[in-house]
Amino acid sequence: MPFDILLALIVGVPVLGSFVLPLAGRIHERLRHSLAFLLVAFSFLAAVRLSSVVFSGQVVRFSASMPFGMDLSFTADGLAVFMALASLLVGLVIVIYSFDYISHYANRNEYDMLVVLFLGSMMGIVFSSNLIFLYIFWEMTAIVSWRLIGFFRGKTDVQRADKAFLVTFGGALVMLIGFLMLYQKTGSFDLGVIKEYFKTQAFPSLALILILFGIFSKSATLPFHTWLADAGVAPSPVTALLHAAVLVKIGVYVFARLFIATFPIGAVWHVILPWVAAVSSIVSAGAALRETDLKRIIAYSTVSQIGFIFFGLSLGVEIAIAGGLLYILMHGMAKAGLFLCAGIIEQGTKTKDISRLGGLFSTMPLTGTAFLFCAASVMGLPPFGGFFSKFLIFLGCVQGGQMGLGFVFLFAALMTILYLLRVFTVVFFGETKIAAREGTPVMVACVLVLAFLSLAAGIWVRYPLDMVQQATTQMIRVIP
Amino acid sequence: MMNLSLPLLVLGPFLAGCVVMLAPQRTRFLKQALVLAVTAADLVLCLRLFPQEVTFFCPWGAYGIDFSLRFYRFSAFILTAAGGFAFLIAIYSCVFTFAKEKSRLFFTFFLFSLSLVNGAVLSDNLIILLFFWEGLLLTVFGLIAIGGPTAFKTGVKALVIVGVADLCMMVGIALVGHLSGTFAISKIQVPLGGLGSLAFVLMMIGAISKAGSMPFHTWIPDASLDAPLPFMAFLPAALEKLLGIYLLARICLDLFRLVPESGLSMALMIIGSVTILLAVMMALVQKNYKKLLSYHAISQVGYMILGIGTAVPIGIVGGLFHMINHAMYKSCLFLTSGAVERQSGTTDLERLGGLAGKMPVTFLCFFVAAAAISGVPPFNGFFSKELVYDGALERGLVFYLAAILGSFLTAASFLKLGHAAYLGPRSETTQTAKEAPVFMLIPMIVIAAGCVFFGLHRSFPIGQLVQPAVENHLEGQDFSFLMPNTKLVAVTIIMLLMAFANHVFGAKMKGSGLKAVDYIHDAPVLSGIYDRAERRCFDPYEWGRAMMRGFSYLLWRLDRGIDWIYNAGFPGCAQVLARTLKRWHSGSYVTYLGWSLGGLLILVIFLMSTRSF
Repeated sequence: MPFDILLALIVGVPVLGSFVLPLAGRIHERLRHSLAFLLVAFSFLAAVRLSSVVFSGQVVRFSASMPFGMDLSFTADGLAVFMALASLLVGLVIVIYSFDYISHYANRNEYDMLVVLFLGSMMGIVFSSNLIFLYIFWEMTAIVSWRLIGFFRGKTDVQRADKAFLVTFGGALVMLIGFLMLYQKTGSFDLGVIKEYFKTQAFPSLALILILFGIFSKSATLPFHTWLADAGVAPSPVTALLHAAVLVKIGVYVFARLFIATFPIGAVWHVILPWVAAVSSIVSAGAALRETDLKRIIAYSTVSQIGFIFFGLSLGVEIAIAGGLLYILMHGMAKAGLFLCAGIIEQGTKTKDISRLGGLFSTMPLTGTAFLFCAASVMGLPPFGGFFSKFLIFLGCVQGGQMGLGFVFLFAALMTILYLLRVFTVVFFGETKIAAREGTPVMVACVLVLAFLSLAAGIWVRYPLDMVQQATTQMIRVIP
Repeated sequence: MMNLSLPLLVLGPFLAGCVVMLAPQRTRFLKQALVLAVTAADLVLCLRLFPQEVTFFCPWGAYGIDFSLRFYRFSAFILTAAGGFAFLIAIYSCVFTFAKEKSRLFFTFFLFSLSLVNGAVLSDNLIILLFFWEGLLLTVFGLIAIGGPTAFKTGVKALVIVGVADLCMMVGIALVGHLSGTFAISKIQVPLGGLGSLAFVLMMIGAISKAGSMPFHTWIPDASLDAPLPFMAFLPAALEKLLGIYLLARICLDLFRLVPESGLSMALMIIGSVTILLAVMMALVQKNYKKLLSYHAISQVGYMILGIGTAVPIGIVGGLFHMINHAMYKSCLFLTSGAVERQSGTTDLERLGGLAGKMPVTFLCFFVAAAAISGVPPFNGFFSKELVYDGALERGLVFYLAAILGSFLTAASFLKLGHAAYLGPRSETTQTAKEAPVFMLIPMIVIAAGCVFFGLHRSFPIGQLVQPAVENHLEGQDFSFLMPNTKLVAVTIIMLLMAFANHVFGAKMKGSGLKAVDYIHDAPVLSGIYDRAERRCFDPYEWGRAMMRGFSYLLWRLDRGIDWIYNAGFPGCAQVLARTLKRWHSGSYVTYLGWSLGGLLILVIFLMSTRSF
């Protein structure tokens, strides 16, 4: 199959296929499950196939022309394929986990459809090389996540879902104005044209700030972050999908796509943006140390870790960018594992309040081990993958000569260790307050898979690191 | 020369650890046999490789992350010692009773730790070094946490304290790599000064915290009570000292060139002296066998840091010789405490006494090791301390005085410990005690014999192990046959006699060996300080916790404030806006017409101002 068609299918199959799922669900539950799995697995395998071409140095393009400069065009370069692989890998595990998790709730047909549609739109964002389509897919994820966060339909659930939607939607509208400013300047929404234009021209700071509104609200960075913690009312696999693996990484990805790969930003932003990330990282880490709701703690941890990713990407140093990209993968796997463990704990004990939990290690040894592994990866302890991503970011920071920032993030890394250890010991050690059994085999297997992926990504770090290195040099090289 | 035995030293214990972890519960003896075989093989492999220089290289990842290992005189020395301790402590652990059948986890973490220590010592790339080095955080956490139901709190403390230091070291390593342009340890040479000094300090923090120096020490006394005893003998007493001091020596001698005139050398000596004195002061008043030993494990690090910090050859050799000596006698002492605990059920000195008759072999081993740590000739500790004294005196009288005062207090506290545990009247708990099983005794005897051997034939360890490791820094001097400075020896002996007299006098005054130094504890100013220290008022970990609580509360309030804007601020604005607009929609045509005309007027003005008609 030609690779451009394959590229279109990575996006098209899950997006269009998701609408078949409710029909399949009417025939048989298992048919819907299998179909949902197959759709995501297809995208993943197609991305794997594509990666072999892309990482040998080629760039795959697909385009269909449309009026008013709104060409539907997809581009697969190293960055896009890496991001697609990272989110589809985690997404696939989450889809499998959902089969058991969701089996005793209502609206299951809708659930599967939304999850697959979500992953499909994510692929749309990743591969789009046209700003208008980028925006359309962006808003598709917003609408789907609005529905998913309020999935249980309670009053608070719906309110929280509205909050998440309004914040991210507001940010996206502001970002759209930024896109329009670019269109006004360059006469095109196509990233290739825009890139050519800004090779000679200075990038307008106002457009940059407007676009950052959208990115920061989607990636839950201070001061647009509180919707993320509130969105913890969603089903656990959804929080894993939204908070860990996919949704919050959209902003980060678009940051890399626009401000690293397409046009360079002024030197002053390489100082301002890391400091924004630093404040975001520290404040949310502090909140994570105080909260007592299991999922809120992990959500705040996500905000804090996103700060690390922005820190790496915004420093303007090659190694830091590589570290940031690697961080997206490592954090996605480990954080998804933590949320899925939280789902098992929540279903077993019927509570998310950690002050009412304790001593679960004796009854849930596998979940506990998986939680510890994932937590260690987020903390950045070897031999887990998180160690290398964190180290590369610090290395980049030192190379960029920003020692002050380095120490602020050192402190944030310490706080990461503190809040994750606090959760782990409070939930799994001490006196048993609520007895609970281990989750279902499928769910436990999923968290173990994520835990071991975190471990394997540390031991065989060369594979993700090679991809990251290629993606980074590709991004840097295109800017002469 | 490429040699596959180097990765084997790392992978072998690791894979064996995995096997032990996954093997079914019923194969206990097979697992123990496996642990013994692996540790023995590790030791044999190190010994076979010993005189050669061997390297191994394999690319691991981009950006200079190369899996490169180097086995040469210095790392060979540390590795062999580590292998020896691992083997002996494995024998000991086979008969040690673990809480609630935790022996499987103990052996798993034990082998993982050995693998990580081997990796850290072998690594010739700073990133790989950091990888193995930080990996120890998790195994230490695990080893402490299996000690009992509340031991995890101490595990958290250890992980956080050492984690902070390791994070500092991570930044230090990044800085070193940036300054020198490579991560290959054998190629790095960074000048001190400016960023170089910052990098030195950050890496030094990592090294001395692993060795257990102040102010990164406070988890060790807690762990001595909570963690399973073989852990104490294995990591804090032996392998972590070897590792920490090894890295400190590498930093001071190879990565940077520490010179005697520098402020950093002074800083190291001050850290060393303060650690010696404060920790031994705490050791003096302990009433628990294991806790007393744990404070000495901290105090003795001070001598090593002081010795290396002097940056003069005799001090460096003394510090490194002291490192291996310390690892020997301190792990032997911890092993005796484990034997005592097993046979009498307690390590509380108030409930012990008169064990010498019941456990003569244990007592003999204790006697040798205690004499060695107190610096009694002709045991090994005496010679290494004399070398350190010599180096310290060369740099300043005050450091020498701190070191010699430390020795006085060390001797006093071991007289107290020996008297309280092994001599004096028997208590209820010791009445029925018997000698420890033979597998516990063998490791103790071997190590105690080592203490005697290294003392009597000091030319072997100094000449064959220590000096070749640092041969580029000796300025052609040879200390292996050097007779200690007679004046210093005289002072040492006077100090030891004073310690003995002090003990006899104190014991007679209070009527018990345990209370022989209570007069120091009860001295006017000191008693207040001791009370506070016992309430953990001086524990940096507790300070950090209190500060973190306050700080995180502030951050949380800030976060809640931002959230308030979303929850109440924006909806409030929207409501006010809606209410206002609603009031304007009054239904009156006149009002609407007024608005329309007003709007038209504004539009016209706007158009006229922007376009030129």
